[in-house]
Amino acid sequence: MIGRLLKFLCVVLLWVGDLYAKVDFINDVNPLLSRLGCNGSSCHGKAEGQNGFKLSVFSHDPDGDFRALTQESRGRRISPAAPSDSLLLRKITGELGHGGGVRTAKNSKAYNILHDWIKGGIVFKIENRPGLVKVRLEPTREVVSFGATQQLKVLAEYSDGSERDVTWLSIFHSNDTGMARVAEDGRVTIGDVVGQTSVMARYRGKVAVFQAVIPRPGARVTYPPLPTNNFIDTHVDQHLKRLNITPSPIADDATYLRRLYLDISGKLPTPTEAETFLKNTAKDKRSKLVEKLLTRPEFADYWALQWSDLLRVDRLKLGHADAYLYYKWIRESFARNKPVDNIARELLTAEGPLTEQPAGYFYRAANGTGDMASMVSQVFLGVRITCAECHQHPYDRWTQQDYHAMRGFFQQVSTKTLTSGVALLAEGNPVIKHPRTGKLIQPYPLGSTMPEAAPEGDRRRVLAEWMTQPDNPYFAQNIANRLWAHFLGRGIVMPVDDLRETNPPSNPELLDALATHLVKSKFDFKAMIRVITASRTYQLSPTPNATNAEDEQNFSRALFRRLPAEVLMDAVCDVTGVNEKFDGVPRGHRAIQLWDSQVQHYFLKLFGRPARATTCECERVTGATIGQALHLMNSPNLQAKLAHEGGQLKRLTVKHEDDADIVRQLYLSTFSRHPSHDEMDTALQYLGTRRFQRRKAVEDLAWSLMNSLEFIFNH
Amino acid sequence: MTKRSFCDGWARRDFLRVGAAGAFGLNLSMSRILEAAAKGDIDKSKSDINFVFIFLKGGMSTIDTFDMKPEAPSDIRGPFNPIRSNVPGTHVGELIPETAKVMDKFSLVRSFTHRNAGHGPADHYMFTGYHPAAGFNGGLKPNNQHPSMGSVISHKLGPRGPIPPYVCLPNMHNSGSAAYLGAKAAPFTIEADPSSPGFTVPDLQPPLSVDASRVDDRRELLAKVDRFQKSAEARANKGTRELGVFAQRATELMTSKAAKEAFDIHKESPKLRDTYGRTTLGQSCLMARRLVEAGVRCVTVDHSNWDTHFHNFRVLKEDLLPKFDMAIPTFFKDMDDRGLLKKTVVVITGEFGRTPKINKDAGRDHWSRGFTVAIGGGGVQGGRVVGKSDKWAMDPAENPYGPEDLCATVYHLLGINPRSEMHTPDGRPIMLTNNGRLIKELL
Repeated sequence: MIGRLLKFLCVVLLWVGDLYAKVDFINDVNPLLSRLGCNGSSCHGKAEGQNGFKLSVFSHDPDGDFRALTQESRGRRISPAAPSDSLLLRKITGELGHGGGVRTAKNSKAYNILHDWIKGGIVFKIENRPGLVKVRLEPTREVVSFGATQQLKVLAEYSDGSERDVTWLSIFHSNDTGMARVAEDGRVTIGDVVGQTSVMARYRGKVAVFQAVIPRPGARVTYPPLPTNNFIDTHVDQHLKRLNITPSPIADDATYLRRLYLDISGKLPTPTEAETFLKNTAKDKRSKLVEKLLTRPEFADYWALQWSDLLRVDRLKLGHADAYLYYKWIRESFARNKPVDNIARELLTAEGPLTEQPAGYFYRAANGTGDMASMVSQVFLGVRITCAECHQHPYDRWTQQDYHAMRGFFQQVSTKTLTSGVALLAEGNPVIKHPRTGKLIQPYPLGSTMPEAAPEGDRRRVLAEWMTQPDNPYFAQNIANRLWAHFLGRGIVMPVDDLRETNPPSNPELLDALATHLVKSKFDFKAMIRVITASRTYQLSPTPNATNAEDEQNFSRALFRRLPAEVLMDAVCDVTGVNEKFDGVPRGHRAIQLWDSQVQHYFLKLFGRPARATTCECERVTGATIGQALHLMNSPNLQAKLAHEGGQLKRLTVKHEDDADIVRQLYLSTFSRHPSHDEMDTALQYLGTRRFQRRKAVEDLAWSLMNSLEFIFNH
Repeated sequence: MTKRSFCDGWARRDFLRVGAAGAFGLNLSMSRILEAAAKGDIDKSKSDINFVFIFLKGGMSTIDTFDMKPEAPSDIRGPFNPIRSNVPGTHVGELIPETAKVMDKFSLVRSFTHRNAGHGPADHYMFTGYHPAAGFNGGLKPNNQHPSMGSVISHKLGPRGPIPPYVCLPNMHNSGSAAYLGAKAAPFTIEADPSSPGFTVPDLQPPLSVDASRVDDRRELLAKVDRFQKSAEARANKGTRELGVFAQRATELMTSKAAKEAFDIHKESPKLRDTYGRTTLGQSCLMARRLVEAGVRCVTVDHSNWDTHFHNFRVLKEDLLPKFDMAIPTFFKDMDDRGLLKKTVVVITGEFGRTPKINKDAGRDHWSRGFTVAIGGGGVQGGRVVGKSDKWAMDPAENPYGPEDLCATVYHLLGINPRSEMHTPDGRPIMLTNNGRLIKELL
């Protein structure tokens, strides 16, 4: 209020200046403050400012910045009477001591703009100057070679249709400095990594992106004649050809078998299952196996585990009984192959007693309405809006208004304790105000315009409706991308939950096609899994060739992915035939069936089980530690499983007279394949020289197999 | 536990601060900022400085030990009397006479203060320098919203040879982990009590049932069996390369004589072990010395239970302070004798102090408004008293310092710029300390 009054006064007092002004704060000065780095987070943009002078980060509060510059500190920063004596100009030119150093030279272009602005009467905004509509980059996508340079041009489009080159006022940011570096003036230098990367530009809160496609240098290679199983392969091939990369060949049956079991059911095949599949000569045995695995209870277990991470099934937060009901709802959804749009709709619009509407526990897992909005955006839309709670999202278009409009959908949500338990309500007409301007914000979904009034009734229905429309720009893409990342070890958009204009997909045509397929199949999860696993791309070998050894980005070969904590634990139990006993559940319960991520367990914790404190996929740690390596080698618990009297290794030793049979069984149970001749020889030699301690020697062999990369990784 | 301090709106302010710090993201190409980072982040001349954090969980009663108030009424001063220490003018409680003899080896900050008197959040605050934000759950292990000091040190300085850079004794405190810095910066945990008779570090040595020759056999067999170990496949994948590095480090750790020695507390002379006290605190302190000697950069000792709501004086007298008064002075002397103290910053503190006013159960409750933190070694002057508390040790009377300042000071002493940044996995930059100031009087 005071701010507005001051602004008004200021404008009135300076109206004379206005007559002569050609430069104003909002269009000319504020972008300069960003460009010169004045409002950077380590300078005056810090929450507490710098040396008493504070600017809003990303200029998200131009009114405040104007005030800080022109009125605070008794107006010393600006001297309208003698512009060049202004503290602002003397500081940035280094005439006076400045912690931030010299920002520009006297009489530079930037200096002159600031000077003219002060001379012209420090005008906030020249009336009838056209407003900024959008920013675009030229070029937008280009195939460029190693070491090449490319000058980017940032063009601002205004409401009167005019266009202005604002390159020198824009801020550039490279998504991967190893692949492309960008200088302050928008000149991009390409590195020496094959693939694609992006450089974004930001001007006055608007962003645009340039995508560089960087092919492998050297002579064009002949693309091998590989089968095209479905649309996925067409799009992948197209892109690989652009990059001058050829894909690895198709993986053998054993590799495919192990990969498929782990990906769909989170479990290794048993030796018998493996043998049966390897012996089978039917042409359609791969697709038959997919069908078989999709109907297994482990499918629901495994996918419920992953979605319980995202939807935060947290016993400590929700309580034991409630967390379990919430989990059951998730597991049921996958067991019944509920379409993903239905899952989202049920969850978003849950209402009434929570025991009957367990999807509603989602609202209790969240910490307030802001968290609800952020969680829904991140999980279902793959859009991260949290930044915009306090300021304009630095790499995206989202403003504080957009954030609070999303929050507005959840303002009606409350809980009420009835005799029958807790019920979820969504009623009333609460209002939400912009935290800075105090203006009313009506709820609207991301990327839409604000309506006149809030929707009638339960607002969440409007959001759910919008989200699950076939043409929603985010929902299908996000789900498709998440599924793809699960099976291929990497999203087309990375990180998987960060879809935004300035983080473009590595293969946009492929992502579009997958999203379209998801919509066409009516959001059928299993249909998506079928199409992905049927593609040749999914079935590639992990062995690199001369062209794709450096490529981990474009699905030209299978990637090595460490088994998730629970899957690895189960695999260890399966190979040794000794179950793990977890707290609170009966013996025999598998790790992937654990609904409670808080069950104390050294192994699971060590291998990165998430605590479910966030909806970020990144919370599950897939990286390695010394502790993991030590544990697999030395853990007394694992040794106890190897040496267990009721365990698989003892059984094998007793059952098989012939060492070769034991070796075969162990290879099948750990690697889901038969040993090669050399491997058989090595193993037989080891066992043969230790006849007097046969069981220990078998333990040693199993230990070695389980400490191999081939066991610890899905490949 | 008190919930008072959760309602003071700090969470929001902290968030804003983080949000504001998010102004520029990962890989920001504004060369200016990168250059600044490259220039000023690490002072390599201090790369030989270590950090030992002795955490007295539950909250040590500093009004009965490091900051006595003999002039206060009896329901505040309690039954213990101050005694002279070896630093003229500095008095400490009569129950730590041995500590009194080494007061020249460390200093006291008697004006320490922060705003949270709940165990979980206060612990997080002391371990990380960041007050936890909304949604914090102290019961989670780990509960870190921000990385602990040890994790920051690991992340910024990395390991020295085969031995891990950050070790927690005897267990990892709930707030001792790495948060967004990830597994590489997480502590190496012992998860065993060095004072127990058969103490060994889990997984560091092969199980007893597997004898040495079999260990070698297994390793040889593994090298033959693991067809991907040296393959093109393993080289072409980030995950396998990474595990390869760690498996290598694990083997080095297992086979490193120095590491094996360091963790083998039984190698220590029984007499010295007795002097430290055959207690968890005593043997953990001894182990901390051994680890620092072997090249660990940061050791935390998590010792409980100092939460003396009931019979504060009896518990202090009969249990806690006798252990303390063996372990701590011996540790300082031993470190000093070996020339390690000048290379090692030692901080001794609880998450808060205890109420000056004695409660109806002859206990003292949580008190974070004013308490004393002991700091010595690694460039810290000994024998000083920084700041002072008011007449009844309620609040600082001058020069208040808080957890942010403690962290900033520790980082500074280890040559890490407390104003430098770290990044979350989604690229948000966060300052190492929440605008912490150096405790200059110590330097």
